Amino acid sequence: MDNLILNILTPLIIFAFIALFTLFAVYAERKIAGFVQDRLGPMETGKFGLLQTFADILKLLQKEFISPRAADRLLFALAPIVIFVAVFIGYSVMPWSPGLIPAQTHTGLFFIMAVVSIDAIGILMAGWGSNNKYSLLGAIRAISQMISYEIPIGLSLIAAVMISQTLDLSLIATNQGIEAQTDIFFLGIWQVNEIGGFLAWNIFQAPHLLIAYVIFFIASLAECNRAPFDIPEAESELIGGFHTEYGGIRFAFIFLAEYAMMFLVAMLGTVIFLGGWNTPLPNIGGLPLAHWTSGIIWGIFWTLSKSLFIVAVQIWIRWTLPRFRADQLMALCWKVLIPLAFVTMAISGLWRILVMI
Amino acid sequence: MIDIVFYVFAIFTIGSALAVVSLRNTAKALFLFFFVLFGMAGLFIFALADFVAITQIMVYVGGVLILMIFAFMLSNKELLASIQDNSSRLFTLPNWQSLIVVLGFFLLLSFAITDWLATTPNWISANQKTQAILQPTDNNIEQLGFRFMTKYLLPFEVISIFLLAALIGAAHLSRKEVED
Repeated sequence: MDNLILNILTPLIIFAFIALFTLFAVYAERKIAGFVQDRLGPMETGKFGLLQTFADILKLLQKEFISPRAADRLLFALAPIVIFVAVFIGYSVMPWSPGLIPAQTHTGLFFIMAVVSIDAIGILMAGWGSNNKYSLLGAIRAISQMISYEIPIGLSLIAAVMISQTLDLSLIATNQGIEAQTDIFFLGIWQVNEIGGFLAWNIFQAPHLLIAYVIFFIASLAECNRAPFDIPEAESELIGGFHTEYGGIRFAFIFLAEYAMMFLVAMLGTVIFLGGWNTPLPNIGGLPLAHWTSGIIWGIFWTLSKSLFIVAVQIWIRWTLPRFRADQLMALCWKVLIPLAFVTMAISGLWRILVMI
Repeated sequence: MIDIVFYVFAIFTIGSALAVVSLRNTAKALFLFFFVLFGMAGLFIFALADFVAITQIMVYVGGVLILMIFAFMLSNKELLASIQDNSSRLFTLPNWQSLIVVLGFFLLLSFAITDWLATTPNWISANQKTQAILQPTDNNIEQLGFRFMTKYLLPFEVISIFLLAALIGAAHLSRKEVED
């Protein structure tokens, strides 16, 4: 019975977290946009405009359900649910801290990759169901982009998995710190099981994974349909892209899914490449900083702070770079990222054979 | 509890599969096909084949289904209308023939199941005696990897070359023809 309550409580907590995260991420997005464009951002509602997003969500919740007359009612109503649930399921295998993981599976990483691809179906449903040419164009752009960019993401993740030899996300995270169950080496030469800290992270265990992480990060921006890869919802060309016809709470769910996806990919990158819950502080001689800053609470703290930092970088990039053209986007994916990802994968194989054994 | 979940998945899968073949609206049928595949993945998990289940979602939902919807959206409206109008004639057999096929297949299945239940193969009973049974918590994926790279290496490599050939073929087909 305890288990049942826990099983119901965990998704609720994760949902509450996503909602809270979205509220503050939207606020952060506006403030950072303001900073980049040398203005103040929201200032009117509450102190420093802190209540602005609460006001926005209240406005969204009050709105009426409007379906266009020519829309496919069922698909139109179902699409936001599919989009959100696809991202939400992804959180079920994400490790937060040692032993703190909603579902520990041997196939965690593979599971996430599969589940996130369901997102594309939801977007197609939204685009087709709206019966609007802008929505359809946006959906087709979104899909072609998401499918293409899934390849570099997959390849860069494979490069990392070849080093860590497991798909279990909590084990991948464990093996990047002082509690590692295998021998881990900084740059493949210096054993750092006792020292830990940032030296034990995957990107420093095998330096080519740094390139793999950059590939993963760029491709994950495209996967979330964020600028500079936001041609699916390019306002100046497509009005709002696949969610043109949505309003009220349905739009709120699409929006929530977008921000949840941002955090999910940031957290996935953190777990696979940046040490997950492990502290960045190493043990230095008699100063066991890594031991002091490890544990369940510290684990949550490090996971959150690393992921939020990555989210901040995503926001920063969005307000700095202009939008790609569709053909430039595809050229970047197929001519630059995929060959590079293949190279990192090949280096991983060689690293495994020549350096790690 | 687990039984109930299993039957819910089974009914869900069969129900949506029936709807897929009977719906007139091709777009809706394609989207419904997603639920069929999803239910199938759930059933695979009940068979402790979690790798197959996830691959099912990854390949079929993330790849094949999206391609099908894409092809549907990009194809000519009149062509689609002709398919939708004659959907009972163009691709399917006449009713009485399909009934015979279905009945034959059903008989084959029920015969196989009763035969299987009557005489359990030796290797299964031997494994049951030595407790060499797969548990839900076992690491299937590692076993699978070892098998792929040792016992089934040749088929694995043949498939990979086949897929590479398909990729190159697709790239060749989509290329612009060079003007002579």
